[in-house]
Amino acid sequence: MSSTPLPPAAELARANEELRHQLEEAHDLIHAIRTGAVDALAVQGTEGPRIFTLQGADQGYRTLIEQMNEGALLLSDDGTVLYCNACLAGLLQCDLSEVMGRAFADFVPPAFRDYWAGLLLKGWESKSKGELPLQTRGGALVPFSVSMNVLSFNETATLAVIVTDLSAQREITAIRAQVEEQNALLDRKNEELKREETARLAGERAAAEASRLLEGISQIAWTVDPSGANTYRNRRWYDYIGVAPGEGPSIGRAWRERLHPDDAPATLARWNESLRTGAPFEVECRIRNADGDYRWMLGRAQPSRNAQGEVLQWIGTYTDIHEHKLALERIDQGQRELLNYNEQLTRVNVDLDNFIYTASHDLKAPISNIEGLLDALLTELPAETVAREPVQPILHLMQDSVNRFKRTIELLTDVSKLQKEHGLPTEPVDLAAVVRDVRLDLEPLLQSTGAQLEVDVAAAPAVMFSEKNLRSVVFNLLSNALKYRAPGRQPQVHLRARPEGAGVVLEVQDNGLGLDAASEQKLFGMFQRFHDHVEGSGIGLYMVKKMVENAGGRISVSTNLGIGTTFSVLFNR
Amino acid sequence: MPLQKLTCVLLVDDDQTTNYLNQLLINRLEITDKLLIALNGQEALDLVQAHCHEATPDCPALILLDVKMPVMDGFQFLEAYDKLPLPEKAAIIIVMLTTSLHPQDVDRVRRLNIGGFLNKPLTKEKLNDVLKNHFNRHLPE
Repeated sequence: MSSTPLPPAAELARANEELRHQLEEAHDLIHAIRTGAVDALAVQGTEGPRIFTLQGADQGYRTLIEQMNEGALLLSDDGTVLYCNACLAGLLQCDLSEVMGRAFADFVPPAFRDYWAGLLLKGWESKSKGELPLQTRGGALVPFSVSMNVLSFNETATLAVIVTDLSAQREITAIRAQVEEQNALLDRKNEELKREETARLAGERAAAEASRLLEGISQIAWTVDPSGANTYRNRRWYDYIGVAPGEGPSIGRAWRERLHPDDAPATLARWNESLRTGAPFEVECRIRNADGDYRWMLGRAQPSRNAQGEVLQWIGTYTDIHEHKLALERIDQGQRELLNYNEQLTRVNVDLDNFIYTASHDLKAPISNIEGLLDALLTELPAETVAREPVQPILHLMQDSVNRFKRTIELLTDVSKLQKEHGLPTEPVDLAAVVRDVRLDLEPLLQSTGAQLEVDVAAAPAVMFSEKNLRSVVFNLLSNALKYRAPGRQPQVHLRARPEGAGVVLEVQDNGLGLDAASEQKLFGMFQRFHDHVEGSGIGLYMVKKMVENAGGRISVSTNLGIGTTFSVLFNR
Repeated sequence: MPLQKLTCVLLVDDDQTTNYLNQLLINRLEITDKLLIALNGQEALDLVQAHCHEATPDCPALILLDVKMPVMDGFQFLEAYDKLPLPEKAAIIIVMLTTSLHPQDVDRVRRLNIGGFLNKPLTKEKLNDVLKNHFNRHLPE
């Protein structure tokens, strides 16, 4: 220095001043380092450790580094921590002094050391970024992201590293996941609401559609919701009750308030049952109209359902069946009266039957008394008196009258027995066999009259009848055909039988006396006799008719006076 | 051989003419010397109770009983008679006299524990049958 010429004094003073200023600055720096307010950079140089300060950085920048919420550090080319901020030390749960000057790889878990070395290598080339866990003092691993690039200080290259705690981000991720889940849920809810809205609109459309249709029909119509609350009534209803829609209290427009008291309990019970079960509703009930009169209505309602089978609404109608119902009631009444008449007639018939029985029974005692008295008289009278005129013919006529009386009573008894046989069990009877037997019985009559009897019953199936009665029917018809023969011609009798429908028809045709139309009417009456030259009780055809009809059959006659008579009997099988 | 007469015969009938004729017949045939007449079941029952607790000549050996009678009819009489504690019931023969019977009455009569039933009117032949069947005797030829 002695060789250099001395600078002028002013220059010296300025240089001196500058040096003094530098000295002051160095003092401040040393103070700041001592108090920890400013970080120092300790760099291990070849000639021992060197202290670097943050030369050139302003106070604001340093404050930012110190106070930011990320970890920041500078690494030397051998991976030593030259500097770290308080945040990084906090993240690693260490003191600043424990971090600074240490190899950062000490905080990297062994499994990530290669990865860390790779990141460093790339960082020294330019920049690098990565994620890895670091080990805190307690040993816990905390996820971090690191980003690094090269910085130059006084021509010494360092690697600046920003360390960000990822655990918070992980939480955020978790929260985001939750949020996303919530959102998805909300979306689903929205979707559901949209569907419900669509369904509701569809329901409303259906209801509107129903209302439009129902407005036009001739019946009273209504709809209610699944709970039974009314949603619509058509004009017919309001016409019927004489109230305008919306007029008066709503309860006054309801059908249940207008039910006839006698019909209300059953009708409402059935309606509630339908609402509960979804079963179609149908009822006949009386409903009061505008004039206060009750008219019979046929009420019907069907549930209308959606695709899932749930009831959307009920659609119902009331049809006025008042006249119909009254007509039915009149018919019912008529039928009841007919039944009554029938019962009365049956009773009268039974009474008559009983009368015939009782009369025949009660007349027996006095007539046998008369007969007994007549006998007693005969034994008391002297024989010559009895033989004398007119005692003898008087006694004879008396006996004759008694006999006729007795015979009539016998016939009446037979008739009354026949009445009692009503409902006698029937059996399949072989008509041909019966006819054969009767023919044998009548053989003497056939012989004496020289009659010709033709029988054709082969085609007839068995007849459902009581055999005894069938014999009686055949006997009566055949013997009548012979008894009432026409004088002067050979009696010709045809007996034919053939199936007809479900039954059998028996025909007995003769060429006998025949009857006029007036007599034909009375033919089957009791005690009707048309020919006094022939012995007859007047009871035979009555009995035949009775027997046939008791078994559900019919008898008819066609006769021509002087030509002949044909009896037709239809036996039901 | 003359008939051995019955000790007593009781006619039960509400018809006076029937009773008269039957009485005439029985007297003529000399079946008994003692003929009692009751006009209904109750009178007959009174007679039986009065005369049959001990064997008296007035206790009837044969009762001819009508069915239809007022006050107490033939069936009611038989019911009441069944309950009487009589010592010699077996010695009393009851024959019912009927007109033509209602079928259900015929059944009823058949089930009764009596000597038999006859259709009215009563005749000599019918009486002779009763004597033969129940008393082992008959009218003279």
